[in-house]
Amino acid sequence: MLKKLVCRVLVFLFMLVITLSAGPADAKEKLSIWLGYGETLPVFEMVKGQFEKKYPDFEVEILTFSLRDFEAKLASSMPTGAGPDLMALHDFIFPRYYDNGYLEPLPEDLAAIVKDPQKINPVYNAVVSREGTAHGVPYWTGRSTLFYNRDHFKEAGLTQPPKTIEELWQYAEKLVKKNANGDIERAGLTMRLTGPSGGIQKFGYLYYQMAGEQIFEIGKTPGTIRVTLKDNMDVAVKALLDRINHLHGDRKVDDWKLKHDAQGFSSGVASMLLRETWAIAFIKKNGPNINFGTARMPKGKVRGAFNYIQILSVSNQSKVKDQTWEFIRMLQEQEALNLLLKESGYSPLREDRDFTWFLKDNPRYEAVMQDIPGYNQYLEAPNTAYEETTTRVGEVLQAAYRDASLVDNPAGCKEVILKMQKVAEGILADNDSLSK
Amino acid sequence: MPEAIHQKNPSNTLAILYQKFKNNNGFWILAALGPVYFLFAAIRIYPILETIRISFYRYHITKKHNPFVGLRNYERLLGDDAFHTALINTIQFTVLAVVATLFLAFFIAILLRSIEHVAPIFEIIFYIPVVTPWVPASVIWKWLYDPMYGLINYVLYFFGIPKQGWLQEPNLIIYAIVIVAVWKMLGYYIIVFSVGLKNIPTTYLEAAEVDGATPLERLRFIILPMLKPIILFAVVMSTIQFFNIFAPVYVLTASAQGAPAYDLKVVVTEIYRNGFQYYRMGYAGAQSVVLLVFVMMMITLQFMAFRKGNE
Repeated sequence: MLKKLVCRVLVFLFMLVITLSAGPADAKEKLSIWLGYGETLPVFEMVKGQFEKKYPDFEVEILTFSLRDFEAKLASSMPTGAGPDLMALHDFIFPRYYDNGYLEPLPEDLAAIVKDPQKINPVYNAVVSREGTAHGVPYWTGRSTLFYNRDHFKEAGLTQPPKTIEELWQYAEKLVKKNANGDIERAGLTMRLTGPSGGIQKFGYLYYQMAGEQIFEIGKTPGTIRVTLKDNMDVAVKALLDRINHLHGDRKVDDWKLKHDAQGFSSGVASMLLRETWAIAFIKKNGPNINFGTARMPKGKVRGAFNYIQILSVSNQSKVKDQTWEFIRMLQEQEALNLLLKESGYSPLREDRDFTWFLKDNPRYEAVMQDIPGYNQYLEAPNTAYEETTTRVGEVLQAAYRDASLVDNPAGCKEVILKMQKVAEGILADNDSLSK
Repeated sequence: MPEAIHQKNPSNTLAILYQKFKNNNGFWILAALGPVYFLFAAIRIYPILETIRISFYRYHITKKHNPFVGLRNYERLLGDDAFHTALINTIQFTVLAVVATLFLAFFIAILLRSIEHVAPIFEIIFYIPVVTPWVPASVIWKWLYDPMYGLINYVLYFFGIPKQGWLQEPNLIIYAIVIVAVWKMLGYYIIVFSVGLKNIPTTYLEAAEVDGATPLERLRFIILPMLKPIILFAVVMSTIQFFNIFAPVYVLTASAQGAPAYDLKVVVTEIYRNGFQYYRMGYAGAQSVVLLVFVMMMITLQFMAFRKGNE
């Protein structure tokens, strides 16, 4: 009796599993898109509507994740063929997928657009191309810029943003606000003191202006990286001393206990911030009463803005490649790019599209959207070990920030720089990407 | 004799075994327990074996060529400062959290036995954090620890104590996380000790009281010896739990916009980083194997120490 009952239950469960796993008879073909920047979703949703109208047999599925989750999910799914058809890749993770042969080369018409300097700046074409073949369409950029609080500036008697790195630190000393105990209540310049990967990137912003090159540059052999700290030792030591001297003692302009970064700035507890384009919208939203301006990065030996770009790529495992390219074409239309700019604040990279309407209404974006001669636009060197290199080197840097014995101590700072160089070279060598 | 002939013939032996299997309802036992064993092997045993296997490879998740490197990943561990720091921090954290949790839980369990009629209410209150998932609990603690607007600093400031960077200061953060871990797991061990205390026959305690034993003597000579198996269970379980700590460390040390925090390293966060941020699966595998061996060694030592105490 019991055996019969168990048998019936097992047969029922088997039938249930079979029934549930079978799809509907009239299932549409699916085009899947994964994004690491949720703020760009409205544009994809709009284009999805247009696309599904044009291709009624297709269903577009858009998934957004936090950037770290996006990277992890992509890394684990692409090798098994379970990845999306269309992915928006950060320029620093692009090589991971290109170098391992997961990306489809562009069709002729899109390749022609990417190669045309009137349409896409050659700096970005270089990032997505290998041996003359492009494997992605540069989509938008976030650029570094200086944010400053106009009210704090007025209070300190400052009339315009700093133009040089020396001025930046002088201004920070004037803008910092301390209480009777000497504790900092408002940072003159909010620095990136925690989060090692971001920390080394922000340190690199000023290092670039002072040295004329980034900490990690493209090596002589393709696919390799050169660590430049040792070659620019005096500059590197000066850049480190600038920060350490302003984190301890009388010249202190920032403190670990304060709110930091864009949130600190939008809360009014920081007078200056070096951050990228997205922070404009963030500060407007989170600090509506903050009267702020933006300016180009302060000058050193050179002057330039760091860019991180998003690249639209198609998986070579996709079964709907033609339709996916069509979706990318639709994302390049003026209407879609207008919405991208309006919704997310990221600057589209198509130079043949007109965004003057946006700058008229949003003058704060001029510093991050208008290219002027002598103001370099640079990107990080493609690095397959990007996360590990920046995190480990950033850890050395941020431990040094806490060390008060390094104040006015160039010899001590030199040791730190040498350690950063050694850590970076060790990781790059271990990943076969250290430039000899 | 015929039986001996039967035993020598393998096909007959199989037939006998099969018959026995059938007579003992072997198919039904297999049908009932088979899926459980299969799932256990697939979910528990296979990943452990696979982790051990890939620890001998330079296994990068997105790379198509993942060569065998022998013991190189283990060799690399010897020179990895980040892993050494993580291991020291984890041991320090585990010792602090185990000692604080178990002492507090034991003390509270004894107190609750003296107010037997209302003890269940307090047990429920202490148990609430245990059923709260780690991530939301850690987020709440992150707000409490906020250096500028957090409740803890507000209370301290009210009493004239300067504001502390609980999650920003390298010397404070480990204690901040120990507090969270103790708060979270305390209720569970209160229940464990309460059950143990309830099982001690009251006649022993009453007899000792009649003989003039002080409360401390009753604790030392009756309660603690009788609770030994429960204490061993609590020590082993809490050591495993705290040595594998991940979620609160990950959430509390995540340096988000405007919420800076010191990057405290523990072994599992290092494994996560190597595996899912740097995609060095082989190296993360080697770290996991070391963690497994380390925890097993500690558990063995704890069992040996308790067994020695019994002798």
